[in-house]
Amino acid sequence: MSILTRLTKPETTSQPEAIAIVRTRLTEDWLAVWIGLFVFVLSLGLLFGTDVLGWSITTSVWTSPAKALAPASKAYATLQPALSLVATYLFLLAILLVAAKFLGANLRRFTLGFTVLFVLSYACWFLGSWAYIAATPDKRPALKIPWSLSLTNESGFIIALILGLLIGNLLPGMSRALKEAIRPELYIKTAIVILGGFLGIAALEQRQLATSVILRGICAIVEAYLIYWPIVYFVSRRYFGFSREWAAPLASGISICGVSAAIATGSAIRARPIVPIMVSSLVVVFAVIELMVLPFAAQHYLSGQPLVAAAWMGLAVKTDGAAVASGAITDSLIRAKAAASGVVFQPGWILGVCTTVKVFIDVFIGVWAFILAWIWSSKIERRQGDQVRFVEIWQRFPKFILGYVATFLIVLGIGIASPALVPKIKAAMGQANVFRSIFFLMTFFAIGVMSNFRRLWQEGFAKLAAVYVLCLFGYIIWVGLLISWLFFHGVFPPIVKG
Amino acid sequence: MSEPRMTEELERMKTEYEPLLPIERKLIWCTFGSGVVLLAILVLISRAFS
Repeated sequence: MSILTRLTKPETTSQPEAIAIVRTRLTEDWLAVWIGLFVFVLSLGLLFGTDVLGWSITTSVWTSPAKALAPASKAYATLQPALSLVATYLFLLAILLVAAKFLGANLRRFTLGFTVLFVLSYACWFLGSWAYIAATPDKRPALKIPWSLSLTNESGFIIALILGLLIGNLLPGMSRALKEAIRPELYIKTAIVILGGFLGIAALEQRQLATSVILRGICAIVEAYLIYWPIVYFVSRRYFGFSREWAAPLASGISICGVSAAIATGSAIRARPIVPIMVSSLVVVFAVIELMVLPFAAQHYLSGQPLVAAAWMGLAVKTDGAAVASGAITDSLIRAKAAASGVVFQPGWILGVCTTVKVFIDVFIGVWAFILAWIWSSKIERRQGDQVRFVEIWQRFPKFILGYVATFLIVLGIGIASPALVPKIKAAMGQANVFRSIFFLMTFFAIGVMSNFRRLWQEGFAKLAAVYVLCLFGYIIWVGLLISWLFFHGVFPPIVKG
Repeated sequence: MSEPRMTEELERMKTEYEPLLPIERKLIWCTFGSGVVLLAILVLISRAFS
């Protein structure tokens, strides 16, 4: 069972199981690193003249379904698209079965769940690539269509999320049957590791802009930890009467990074395991609401400031999966709107800024948990023999970030050392990106399946939800917007020429 | 071991209210104050170098 699936079932989670959840999280982190690096390394085969992943499936914007699918590389042009699709499925199933084995999952149920997850997710991607949904205005003449919704093919993410929500809320039997494969954290973290290489290419092409984005991204840390957290903690303690045990994980869940931060804080202040688990279930549901609303608000109000919108997604949307997913949707929506007015932004920069901001916030979860553990054990709830160890910072560090940084630096390093290799690295990252998109897609679907909105109406959750609504929509979103504006106003993604 | 339900937790919080300790107030306002000051510094730095 995935960590988040378990987290959304607080009433059935025992204390030993909750402790195991925290351990599982670490395992999922490392597995995401290894899976992401495996795909990344295979894609680098192109640098040595070996097209290892060229058979993987891609979907282009289509008017005729028969012409939609094709292998990623021209070297495999003769491969039937159906075989390419099956090969992609089998490759992902094989590596994820190894991961499932490490996570102690039931492999038969995982295989069944993953098969349904893959088929439905890819069907959403296929549908989202239909020209009438995806084509931007500049592409309509070539596709010979009079109109389109201009959502780009990443609208497949939104369709996957909606389908997942329908299954999660209306088909509980099916949702239960799939649960072994519903692991959005594993999928999004793997996608983020692969994304590092893709962003490395973007940084190679625009080094000055990339440096500027990274420096501005650091500012996000100040906001999440020092400006959001104390106010949410104060509101929940002073006005809602929550105990310290509840208020601290709640403040971290709402302010920092959802599930990971709530668990790390709960553990730091020695809260009972049930506390961060309940907070996390709330975070996941609200993250879905944000994911469905904020990218469209960003497209409507911030299309003139794409990187403000990007940073806003990273600062306002909680949980890694939903935040990066919001970045992906915002990227496609804003680029589509800009394309309609004749400006074609380079893809990936909005997603890249959103991910950078989120990753910087994640990096300090361990440090923050350490600081809280020290304050709680030495000042608030003094306990004999309680010692806070520095090793806890490392234990709580989200390990998938190491994979993200590694792929980013490897691509950047190769590109700087051998500029002649840049076209080949770009092609290699294009192939790795095929899998990044599929992992994204499965994340959207999985988030939808596990978001049980009825839980919000359960007796007792209203007060917890009230703090969340008040702080998120009354404070965090607006302060996040202000600070994104302060740091990213006037900074634009590169424009594609021609 | 049976886990407490949310309703029971909220009832318990009503009866066993924990007032804000001075150290908590200090944590809240020192954190927030340092955040605002750092933010102002970072804005100035980013303006100076952009």
